[in-house]
Amino acid sequence: MIFTELRFVALFLGCWISFYLVPRKYRPAVLTFWGAAFYLVYAGPFSAVVLALALLTFFRRMSWIAAIATVALLAYFKLSLLVPLGFSYLAFELLHVILERRRGGIESVSLGDLLAFVFFAPARIAGPIKRYPQFVAAVRDAEPSSENVYAGLLRILFGLSKKFFLADILSQTLAESAWVASTMHAWVIVFAYSLQIWLDFSAYSDIAIGLGRTLGIVLPENFRAPYLAKNIREFWERWHITLSQWVRDYVFTPAGRWLFGTRLRRLPIAIAVISYLLTFTIVGAWHGLTPGFLLWGVYHGALLSLYHVVRVKTPGWIADHPWYDSRAVRLAGVAFTFLCVTIGWVPFMLPLPKAARMLALMFGIHR
Amino acid sequence: MKRRLVLILFWLIAIDQAVPFLLERLERRHYEGTSAFRFENSDLFALGPLVQYLRDHPQHAHRRVVFFGNSMLFGYFLKPEEAVPAQLQKLQPDARVYNAAVNGQELGTSYLVAKDIIDSVDVLYVQIVGAHANPLLPSLIPVEDSDLRRFDLDAPKRVETRMESWLGRVWHLYADNYRLQAALFGTSTRVFVYMHKKDPLNALRLAHPREAWPAIQGEVSLRAPRKPGRVSDWNEQLRIKNDLAALARAHHKRVVFLEFEWTNNATDGEDAAFNAAYAPYAETIIVHVPPALTFDGQHLVPASSAAVAAALAKHEAAP
Repeated sequence: MIFTELRFVALFLGCWISFYLVPRKYRPAVLTFWGAAFYLVYAGPFSAVVLALALLTFFRRMSWIAAIATVALLAYFKLSLLVPLGFSYLAFELLHVILERRRGGIESVSLGDLLAFVFFAPARIAGPIKRYPQFVAAVRDAEPSSENVYAGLLRILFGLSKKFFLADILSQTLAESAWVASTMHAWVIVFAYSLQIWLDFSAYSDIAIGLGRTLGIVLPENFRAPYLAKNIREFWERWHITLSQWVRDYVFTPAGRWLFGTRLRRLPIAIAVISYLLTFTIVGAWHGLTPGFLLWGVYHGALLSLYHVVRVKTPGWIADHPWYDSRAVRLAGVAFTFLCVTIGWVPFMLPLPKAARMLALMFGIHR
Repeated sequence: MKRRLVLILFWLIAIDQAVPFLLERLERRHYEGTSAFRFENSDLFALGPLVQYLRDHPQHAHRRVVFFGNSMLFGYFLKPEEAVPAQLQKLQPDARVYNAAVNGQELGTSYLVAKDIIDSVDVLYVQIVGAHANPLLPSLIPVEDSDLRRFDLDAPKRVETRMESWLGRVWHLYADNYRLQAALFGTSTRVFVYMHKKDPLNALRLAHPREAWPAIQGEVSLRAPRKPGRVSDWNEQLRIKNDLAALARAHHKRVVFLEFEWTNNATDGEDAAFNAAYAPYAETIIVHVPPALTFDGQHLVPASSAAVAAALAKHEAAP
């Protein structure tokens, strides 16, 4: 875990002290300097690629080259299964800047702020995926006060505890998939993985957010009790929030808008279904260009489509009935959503043939 | 908030002062006690702390015997006290026997660990199996650069290692946390919790009678190599074996290589020559275990473990 390596701690301490000491206007330069040092230590020559992409993104006329290069590199790394340090996150952040500048959502970009945004180390390991305007404002207003340091340290401690005391213990159960032979055992492993992936991933986010907080920089939240979601749409509003917001803004909405201009205009349900499937195939591919991740993405796209259809087609007299929004139905919704999400993790956690065997065991159809 | 931060720092410093004392007590109980010593889980985690302890405590009241090998010597499916090393401990109460076998351990790992602890032990039992060294080893024990190249291992991250060493000098808990975990649990805390997750539930139930192991038929035997030959190092396994024997001879220690034999047709001229060349410091013993004495054709049942240990003890006692 990079966060607990002393090289990272030393770099971050250096960053924090300089950030605290320098006048406010030089703070982006401090974040860039220490972020670049972090990249040099952990990614070596790849730092030059990151710098080149940042510079191409900065020059508006070159930004289309940056966009193509970013997507091509991301696809290449995902295919080779060796993604350099945090590139998946960096790629989506750069594409956000490029697309928002084209849309007019970001009017001006300063090189200092952009480099600080690109090289900001805490969020580069496992997110969250930042937004440029919010990040620049957060750095501008940052106050590394004792209150923020205390709150940040508590959040880091919370994340570390989640990772080491819960996620890492649960992760031991995954090894049991090598000799699983019964339905009950298969379900135990999959439920353990379901909790483990949430605890592990959200722990990384906690630490990143906590590190930012010690500097007084507020980073976006990435998880909000996702397994308490009442339906699959709400799940994606609580799980990896910054990724779901990114695909909502740059894939789902544009895809829906484009489809609305075609003959499908008369079939809004078809538009929603296609948009969901496309969006979540991209989400799956973002995690890795393997059949398992793609299948997981398509599965979630299908679940969201199904939920959309059911919601649209539910007669008014049912939707308006007090029972429809009762506590019992909400609880059933939470349980059912958790179950659906948990089943979806199977192709995510195991190679496809093993995933198929695990699913067969779970549903008692394994011979 | 500043007061809280100062208070936390104060407590961290206060707790840290007790760590060396606590570690000393826990390690003495764990490594010098009378109960059977085996890693709680058959993984490498506790190997590093064992090596550190033995290196830090070369003086010892009891004869130290260390076993290296794979799941066979670890005692796959057996209780710690049923494995070969623990059975030998029962027969040699004057010795402290350490079962440092780990699933999949090969001769390269045994050699590198033996190099580190040779001054702190008296007898090594090394199972002849494979020749590789575990890639995680350099992060656990000191490994020389020449050995890194020889066994194709990655060097530990130098900067990180140096920084850990610096920090460890001022922060005991940081330096000793692996050793504390190994002394407390025999493995990492997370693996220990995982392995014992059902204990509270089991404690509430009535004790289940353990299933009896099948009765065994056949006899375990030891034998010296039969045919004379000449010392050879034509492959890496033999080179490691020769190097380890030379190491034992240079340090006036004894290393016993155990070759498990499942059928009785081994050609072992090289072993006979090896024994002649390195006596009395190194010796190869061929252990014949009929497959009928195992539960899966390879792993020993408690009775055959005891038989192997008895044969080893008898062999050591012979003039």
